[in-house]
Amino acid sequence: MQKLGWMALAVLLVAACAQETDDKGAVDSGAADNGAKAGAVKPQSAAAAAPGVAKSADDAGEKDAKGAVHPPLDPYPSTYESYASGATLITGATILTGAGERIDNGSVLLEGGKISAIGAAGAVDVPAGANTIDAAGKWVTPGVIDIHSHLGDYPSPSTASTSDGNEATAPNTAEVWTEHSVWPQDAGFTRALAGGITSMQVLPGSANLFGGRSVILKNVPSRTVQGMKFPGAPYGLKMACGENPKRVYGDKGGPSTRMGNFSHYRTAWIEASDYKKQWDDYWKAYAKWAENGNAKDNAKDEDAEDAPEAPSRNLKLETLAGVLRGDIRVNMHCYRADEMVQVMDMGKEFGYKVSTFHHAIEAYKVADYLAENGVCAAMWADWWGFKLEAYDAVSENAALVDAQANSCAIIHSDSATGIQRLNQEAAKAMAAGWRIGLEIAPEDAIAWITANPAKAMGVLDQTGTLETGKMGDVVIWNRNPFSVYAKAEQVFIDGALMYDRSDPKRSPRMDFEIGQQGNEHTGGAGQ
Amino acid sequence: MNAMINKPIFAAVFSVFALSAAGNAAAQSTSTTAIMNGEVHTAAGDVIKNGDVIIRDGVIVQVAADLIAPTGARVIDASGKVVTPGIFAPLSSIGLEEISLDEEANDAGPNRGGGFPLGAALDAVDAYRRTSTLIAINRAGGVTRALMAPDPGDSLFGGQGAVIDMSGGVDSLTKPRAAQIAMMGSGGASRAGGTRMGAWALMREYLDEARSYAANPNAYIRRNREDRFALSDLKALGAVVSGGQPLIVYINGESDIRNLIRLKTDYNLRVIIAGGSEAWRVAKPLAAADIAVILDPMANLPSQFEDLGATLKNAARLNAAGVKIAFYNPPGFGAHNLRLLTQQAGNAVAEGLPYEAAMAALTINPAEMFGLDRRLGSIELGKVADIVIWDGDPLEVTTVPQVVFINGVRQDMDNRQAALLSRYRDLSRGALPFAYRGGE
Repeated sequence: MQKLGWMALAVLLVAACAQETDDKGAVDSGAADNGAKAGAVKPQSAAAAAPGVAKSADDAGEKDAKGAVHPPLDPYPSTYESYASGATLITGATILTGAGERIDNGSVLLEGGKISAIGAAGAVDVPAGANTIDAAGKWVTPGVIDIHSHLGDYPSPSTASTSDGNEATAPNTAEVWTEHSVWPQDAGFTRALAGGITSMQVLPGSANLFGGRSVILKNVPSRTVQGMKFPGAPYGLKMACGENPKRVYGDKGGPSTRMGNFSHYRTAWIEASDYKKQWDDYWKAYAKWAENGNAKDNAKDEDAEDAPEAPSRNLKLETLAGVLRGDIRVNMHCYRADEMVQVMDMGKEFGYKVSTFHHAIEAYKVADYLAENGVCAAMWADWWGFKLEAYDAVSENAALVDAQANSCAIIHSDSATGIQRLNQEAAKAMAAGWRIGLEIAPEDAIAWITANPAKAMGVLDQTGTLETGKMGDVVIWNRNPFSVYAKAEQVFIDGALMYDRSDPKRSPRMDFEIGQQGNEHTGGAGQ
Repeated sequence: MNAMINKPIFAAVFSVFALSAAGNAAAQSTSTTAIMNGEVHTAAGDVIKNGDVIIRDGVIVQVAADLIAPTGARVIDASGKVVTPGIFAPLSSIGLEEISLDEEANDAGPNRGGGFPLGAALDAVDAYRRTSTLIAINRAGGVTRALMAPDPGDSLFGGQGAVIDMSGGVDSLTKPRAAQIAMMGSGGASRAGGTRMGAWALMREYLDEARSYAANPNAYIRRNREDRFALSDLKALGAVVSGGQPLIVYINGESDIRNLIRLKTDYNLRVIIAGGSEAWRVAKPLAAADIAVILDPMANLPSQFEDLGATLKNAARLNAAGVKIAFYNPPGFGAHNLRLLTQQAGNAVAEGLPYEAAMAALTINPAEMFGLDRRLGSIELGKVADIVIWDGDPLEVTTVPQVVFINGVRQDMDNRQAALLSRYRDLSRGALPFAYRGGE
């Protein structure tokens, strides 16, 4: 590759995706709101949601109550459990709820890992034995959420050994799952925690048209990826527009053009539609077969017909069919305005919806289209120019997207450094809006890094705002978080204090970093 | 002191530079500007509340509180504003690079793996494109001077960087051949057989040969030598081995940095570190050896084994030990956001760097690194007027410049991003397509 090569070798490679090179993946993904109900472990389909889906030894997956085979929805299930926490009252703070409200001199009560009460300081009853944190002068927000991270799949240290973000062997690798690359010992998770990150979506890189499935994690260290997986979060699919796929595959059999990109997408969606139909037909036939008295109880009946045979599983098409069923959210790396609009039409052609365009440098040019289609735009505050499709950046991008009715503006990082300061990135984008006369209050802009990514990722019913019943994912900042001097002082995840800037015992350090000379007196998270 | 006394002194001492300043100033003819009632951070040790700065013919002629604006001066009311020296970016590919991943629009350095034979001989001035959009965009962000530096390709050496002003003018070259660039540490190893032993042996051999060449070029050429190094590279390195031209060395690990200190002593070089993620572990020896460090204060990840000690405290610890520091955008970010140096400085302050030390790191320290501190880098009598007026704390992420002066000339704040914004600010359908709107 050309000019950037030396940088990657010489120093840290920061933007795993955005500056995708041949051997390093590009960035992005998109989460689609898909209209699916956030929250529940996503039913993969109406059929799959049928009662009584049970584990089966069958290689094909699981069987429902009547015995029809279903590909497993969750074969690597979350084992995440929140850590112990008593009742905690954070009081006296300026609270930005993430739901558009600001409460001065407010209180948040965490009980049983959840937010049990929030309101004016005097209005929240304190249970006996609650640990009370006097947060006067401090600010409190929901835990910060990054919809675009490569922590774990492009971890630190950044070596050939750990470069696991792009399966750059074919333009369509919808069959890969990011969670099988994520290294839970990435020191970057600890640094992100010190920046207030409580949840994130880890994506494959953007070398490929279809990069594979994303995984949504809670930022709580674990020996296993399963131990970090956000319980019940939907899967995402990473796709990429434009330059990266054609650069990577242009001399490897294609695509080598943007029209080539689209022909590959469309061909894949046609195959996925067929595959989905095969399974839908099978389930229909099976149900009919069972209704006709052929199932189990009558199996001894000599007249009974053989049960319909389940189609063969195809990992790649299984993921794409999951998108067509509305269960898997499309996260699409797309810089250019014209390409975003083409992609939205492609979604209509095949009956799916893009959740989020990532790295949407030109979103401001088509903010009206995005709002009409209910598609989120995940943006940087001011990155630009690393490639031609990133040339037309403006600092007002997020503010202009946000200014549309029914908009969904998100600030994302795509960087192990940027993820530590999404608050500062949002602050820059907010201030750029002020300068063109847009009224954006901190209680609005905080949603760009909390509620909006949660909505796009399908977890808004569980986190992303400080509302009663949601996960106790909370950050206490030493001051207004929209300042370069602001620091996360304490970070709670599911009610448990997982980071405390003043207490080294509440600062995680990954295996890679312990026992090394030279960093012994710095904490992992606060390094 | 007044301008009448001060101006001749400036002209005498800084005649070469004054030519350049006068060139730009000519556009506005002889002029006086008075910036009144600002909070003036001079970067010379003072913060003057309600401070006034008087600029005449491109030069700062008065700095104090409670001055009276000279008759006929253009007056800028800076009440409630912060006035600082212009930001000086000490290391970037500004002027050499428009689009990082576009071969034709990136002249920052030879392609890696391309086998291009030259390194030290390359001169950034040869590829300088003053009309690059990066210049106007970063100028609007308060950057007034920059070292335009080549990136090393397959050689240990990148070539010679030049200091430019950010006016984008035809006369914007401040100091050619202001520094030589080298790559050591893991980056050096990868250019020298894959081992740091190779990098250091090669570095010493280059310096030895450059000395030998400089001592007697004709004898060197006549000698039946192995043709290992290009003469043009050795010729260029003459400025380094003479101790005149600073050698900026990309290097991170503690042990490599200790080697570098020895190299500096052995060869009597002027050395500046770039990167330096573990420099804080060698802070006192660096201060003693008078080696400055250009760093990214946000680098805190163990990206390589040489970065295991990377910490947000690097800037504060180095400064406390007496090491001169400056900030740069980390490699991988091209030169597109030099305007974020202030944010990086703010983060260093949040991690314990004194505020005025951060201000110095953005202004006077880079000027010192390249021997330009008598002309540039602070708001003091006789200095060239590179000045920025900010709408608040310049290190704060919500703050932007309102007025930028370079060589005393008030700069155009328009740029390509502003043109795009004006075109697409309103998305409603007009009488004609978007292509007919704005963007002039």
